[in-house]
Amino acid sequence: MRESVRRLALALALFSGAAWASGAGSQHEVAEHTGHAGSEDNVAEYIFHHVGDDTAYEFELPGPLYTGHNPRLDLAVAFSFLRLETKPGACPSDLHADTHSFTALFQGCVDLRPTKHVLMMWFAGALLILAMLFGSHRNKAQLVPRGMIANLFELLVLFVRDELAIKNIGKEEGPRYVPYLLTAFFFILFMNVLGLFPWMATATGNLAVTAGLAFCTFVLTQVASIRAAGLLGYFKHLTGGVQVWLWPIMIPVEVLGLFTKPFALTVRLFANMLAGHIVIFFLLGLIFLLHPGMAAFSVPLAIGIYFLELFVALVQAYIFTMLSALFIGMGVAMGHHGEAHAAGH
Amino acid sequence: MSEKREGEELSEAARLMRAASPYISAVWKMVGGAAVGVLGGYFLDNWLGTTPWLLVALSVVGISVGFYAFIREMSRLGKR
Repeated sequence: MRESVRRLALALALFSGAAWASGAGSQHEVAEHTGHAGSEDNVAEYIFHHVGDDTAYEFELPGPLYTGHNPRLDLAVAFSFLRLETKPGACPSDLHADTHSFTALFQGCVDLRPTKHVLMMWFAGALLILAMLFGSHRNKAQLVPRGMIANLFELLVLFVRDELAIKNIGKEEGPRYVPYLLTAFFFILFMNVLGLFPWMATATGNLAVTAGLAFCTFVLTQVASIRAAGLLGYFKHLTGGVQVWLWPIMIPVEVLGLFTKPFALTVRLFANMLAGHIVIFFLLGLIFLLHPGMAAFSVPLAIGIYFLELFVALVQAYIFTMLSALFIGMGVAMGHHGEAHAAGH
Repeated sequence: MSEKREGEELSEAARLMRAASPYISAVWKMVGGAAVGVLGGYFLDNWLGTTPWLLVALSVVGISVGFYAFIREMSRLGKR
């Protein structure tokens, strides 16, 4: 009993330390601006700067101990070798100039430098590979996995295979899509959870990242439909089952309809991950906006939201995987509709 | 009969979603027809400088085609 109380106290101390570390940075920055009118704008600006993507990686140090500027890793300079020129002199000499655009690309400046969120994706991927290598290490003499990590991964992997893939896609086609679903599930889970650590950022709180993930699901959904209905049946489905002279209207409608599902996947994950962080930040921002005494109210509330965020990180990874499996399953079922149509006519 | 045996392992949500998907796509035909007509007309108008005639014409065409496709699909699904 005493042991568990001690553990709980330690956990609380750790989490409040995390909240303090991320809050202390804002204290430092906002302190520079307070006293002027419109500190609300500064708090909001600060928050959106911190949940957004950036070309620099900033390490915030707790205020009272450290009062100088935060150490930062300037990714634009550190990865300058990844800015390639297809034509000599196409890139501006200033490394901080914005070259993340199609105009720059067509002028011959290929900017492949990572941003903060790309770095977080690499980090999540590396951690995932390491965790899987150690977690799934299989001893030939002892085939039953032992150890907490191995058992935890086995639980999650079996859940994704049996509860998500088989139950949403089917016995025959389901196992084919398990590797993708597992990759998506663990990658999203690791990115979501990493974003909750101090000094880290949430890559899934970026529309481009979630759109990329949803695009992978979109491609697999189309592949599943084509495999099930055949290329001809797939294109026939795109014409909407109307007469030839109505195709100019119906084909854009059906093509647009293909993108509704990945769009929903994109926005759902992005908004869920971003909203929790903004809520935590604004709760802590109340301290600077209203009165320092607000800390007694907003810090416990922020810790509560933080625990909710831990839950949301898992749930959103699950929902993305479940809906991916459901959409792939609907693509697989398209073949049956084709047969039913053929039988009906 | 064979279909029932085939989808035995599927979850309730997946089975319902599969059963509903022709109706969802039928509804999208109606909504999307109107959307494509109106948006297509608007952008073509801006491009060709014929405000507001293409918007009016394509809206009517899009809404009618959407309705027609919807009713056609629903009557076909109803017959099954």
